Amino acid sequence: MAKGLRFAYYPGCVAQGSAREVEDAMQGLSRVLGLELLPMMGAACCGAGVMKQANWKLQAAINARTFSQAEAAGLDVLTPCASCQGNMHEDLVTLQGDAGLREEVNIILERVSGLRFEGTLRMRHLLQVLVEDIGLDVIRDKVVNPIDFPIAGYYGAPMQQEGACGEDDVYDPSYFEQLITALGGKPVDWDGRTSSVGFPGLLAEEKSAMKMTAAVLSEAKQEGAKIMATACPLSHVNLDTYQVKAGKVAGLDTSLPVIHLPELVAWALGCDVGRLAQLRTRALVIGD
Amino acid sequence: MQPVGLCGVFVMSAVVKVWIDEGCIVCDACENICPEVFHVTDDTCIILDGIKPGEFSDDIIEAADACPVDVILFDLEGATEAPTEEAVAPTEEAPAPAPAPVEIQGEGALAEVMMGDRDLHLLFGSQSGNSEVLCAAIAKKAPDYGLIGHVHDMDGFDLSSMAGMKRVLIVCSTWGEGDQPDNAEDLFQAAKAASGLLTSTHFSVLALGDTSYEFYCESGKEWDKVLENLGGTRIAPRVDCDVDYDAPAAAWMGTALTRIACVDALGLYREELVDEMSSHAAGDSASLGAGEVATVAQPEIQLTASIFRYDPVSGETGTDSWACALPGHHSVLELLRTLKATQDGSLTFRDGGAEDPTTGVCVNGRLVLPGMVRLCDLVRNKGDGASIRIEPLPAYEVIRDLAVDLSTYENLRAASRPWFVGGDREGANTSQGVIGIMDASVASELHASNDVASPQLLHAASDTVPHNADYIGPALVGHLWNRSCDPRISDKSRTAIIETLADVGGVKAETDMSSIQRQGRMGRTGAANVLQAKNAALAHDGYNGRHGKHVWWFTWTVKSSGLLNETILAAQTMGPIGMVKNLPQMIRMTTGFTRTGGPIMRDKQSLLIAAGIPASIGKLPPLVNRAVDEHHEVVAIFNALDARF
Repeated sequence: MAKGLRFAYYPGCVAQGSAREVEDAMQGLSRVLGLELLPMMGAACCGAGVMKQANWKLQAAINARTFSQAEAAGLDVLTPCASCQGNMHEDLVTLQGDAGLREEVNIILERVSGLRFEGTLRMRHLLQVLVEDIGLDVIRDKVVNPIDFPIAGYYGAPMQQEGACGEDDVYDPSYFEQLITALGGKPVDWDGRTSSVGFPGLLAEEKSAMKMTAAVLSEAKQEGAKIMATACPLSHVNLDTYQVKAGKVAGLDTSLPVIHLPELVAWALGCDVGRLAQLRTRALVIGD
Repeated sequence: MQPVGLCGVFVMSAVVKVWIDEGCIVCDACENICPEVFHVTDDTCIILDGIKPGEFSDDIIEAADACPVDVILFDLEGATEAPTEEAVAPTEEAPAPAPAPVEIQGEGALAEVMMGDRDLHLLFGSQSGNSEVLCAAIAKKAPDYGLIGHVHDMDGFDLSSMAGMKRVLIVCSTWGEGDQPDNAEDLFQAAKAASGLLTSTHFSVLALGDTSYEFYCESGKEWDKVLENLGGTRIAPRVDCDVDYDAPAAAWMGTALTRIACVDALGLYREELVDEMSSHAAGDSASLGAGEVATVAQPEIQLTASIFRYDPVSGETGTDSWACALPGHHSVLELLRTLKATQDGSLTFRDGGAEDPTTGVCVNGRLVLPGMVRLCDLVRNKGDGASIRIEPLPAYEVIRDLAVDLSTYENLRAASRPWFVGGDREGANTSQGVIGIMDASVASELHASNDVASPQLLHAASDTVPHNADYIGPALVGHLWNRSCDPRISDKSRTAIIETLADVGGVKAETDMSSIQRQGRMGRTGAANVLQAKNAALAHDGYNGRHGKHVWWFTWTVKSSGLLNETILAAQTMGPIGMVKNLPQMIRMTTGFTRTGGPIMRDKQSLLIAAGIPASIGKLPPLVNRAVDEHHEVVAIFNALDARF
């Protein structure tokens, strides 16, 4: 069977924890766009750029196990999380390029799971699948509720790596802006869209992370954004949950509704109209 | 006996004299190595009275080696210096080895003109060094034209030797009120007094000056006239250059070299060969060094260049845009030079050689050395025509336009003390004797981890740096880490470096390595160093403190269920006090009240937390994760690779 729009689905830990609204939106948009997502119930955490600080080889081996599960199903991996995309793509490339490491990991994998990692799959982020596989024309035709705000699309740093962001430009990407336009919105042109908000350091280097978060939010506001959509549920924790604290630490105006990329798409396609109404109320009526 | 510094490897001999040159940065490295000789005061270093240098020869040489600014100079008794890569440029006093023969690649008449004497003599009259640099550049370019360049300092040059020269180019600056530079005065007076000396000499002059002075380029004009009076034949018109001399000097160089290369061994100018010579030079790779490649011509690009501007006087910032048409193979630096020369002379940027590490700018979000990247590789087209956006490097204060203040990096560098302090090598005849003995694989790894074209550029790659003034940044982290991995380092210095890395402002201050890693090969090298340094720093601290606990408990929760447990991670990392301080954030998360509001039913359910139902309510992540399928496989991998968890 051709892969088509069939993927091994890797939601990431945060989408199964504090950002389960991502899961809600993914179900809706997949149904409308014809994405077939095969749940990876055995997949483990990608490491999120933190686990490798203890042992990079351990993180690579854990991800190799996840890859081998997708390969066993003959599918590429799709994730809605830019951090997962960046970290897993990095380990995928490392494993593909290092035969010695691959063999060392495969010896362990075969012993514990009976699977081998061959390096034949691709890591895909939802944004890339929407633009490259489904196509903006298809999405535009399916829009029910245009999200007609000035929208700042936040890519984050982990995914904007060579090879990890599909065919998009690493330094000056445009996929998010193209998608926002297709959904009826007006993309905001801003530099902070690929800057890090310091999520891996949130709990340990909070002051820096808050300043980084505030800088990103503040710039988006200054460039005219009414809402922000993020391609990374981890960064979303900084940008949303820590938004008020970030503004206080940095002394900047950071008040801005922040939603997830899957929510942006799902709501435009007619899912969760109640939450879209909340967003409209928040952005247009309540304002800052 | 010549004073010697660090340019060479010295074979034997005792130090008979040691002294300190200007420029000491009071880093203490010398005193740490040899307190019997060196004493560092508040503003410099002094040599202690009454010492006998010969008794401390090894330590003095080691201290000189460790000195980051090379101000420790010494004389060796009967020293012989082996040649090194840092050998100084040839001068009249120390003749350079004969240049390699130029390969003759022309055909027909062009081949004929390239036979026999192909010497090109370049004389510089220089006060600040610019003329000398230009002559060196011309000499490097000369083989493209089948010429062998010889650079001469005018000071001490024998005027009579010019009579036998068929090709002479002079680059001369003007000093004061139209005066000759100090090194040119004697030769000029001699030339002025002579007559009829140059019967078969072709020449051209490049004059450097400053239009703000009354006697603009006067020295060059005088040389142009004197050479003509001596009977020489002007092969190309003199060009007078203002302080921004790069573009006119380059144009003069092209014209003068092409024409003077058409002077044959008999001293006859073959004007009919100029076009052919020009083509030959453009397509010839004779001047290219090992590893260099010829420029591949690219079609002209019509583009809009948007450049950040900042006027420190008015405090105004903005963006200027120009429509340009330039060959695609031109570099960003050439674009900036062209705009400055033709559009706005006040445009400010750090100019320099292509590999000058201090010239970095940000182009369309990418950190680059502008002389190293071609326009065709950077220009974007988003449907509104080709464009390029050039901004100053992040992480630094902007001085004006694209020029940034790099002193923040330099201050952090000095404070982090990244210089090398070698370990004791008792039993070796000289400390220099063992340098260079290292396992090849270790040497290769050290070289690779230190292979960063511009530490200033890498410093700006971290998104954390602009928000934490104490953080030494990824370039210095990498440099320190590289030092600590060097097997020649002393144990004391290695420990000190690891402590610096583990301290506040060290590697733990980096919040997100991915921001570094995304900046090309330089970024990947930098991120790899930061990761290894952080591994070492966390292990050094036994995974204590917030950073250590964060990494430890993150990894621990992954082993425990296969998934990250956000609640356990936050509680273990922040501790009860930290949790209380972050209560507002926890309430936002618990109630699901984000700025856009969560699903209504889930928000209501979150109120049940008061009834003691702890998990999976609102946006509160589960206190206890469900384990992933076949979780035992995850545990087995942990057990196989890292038994600490």
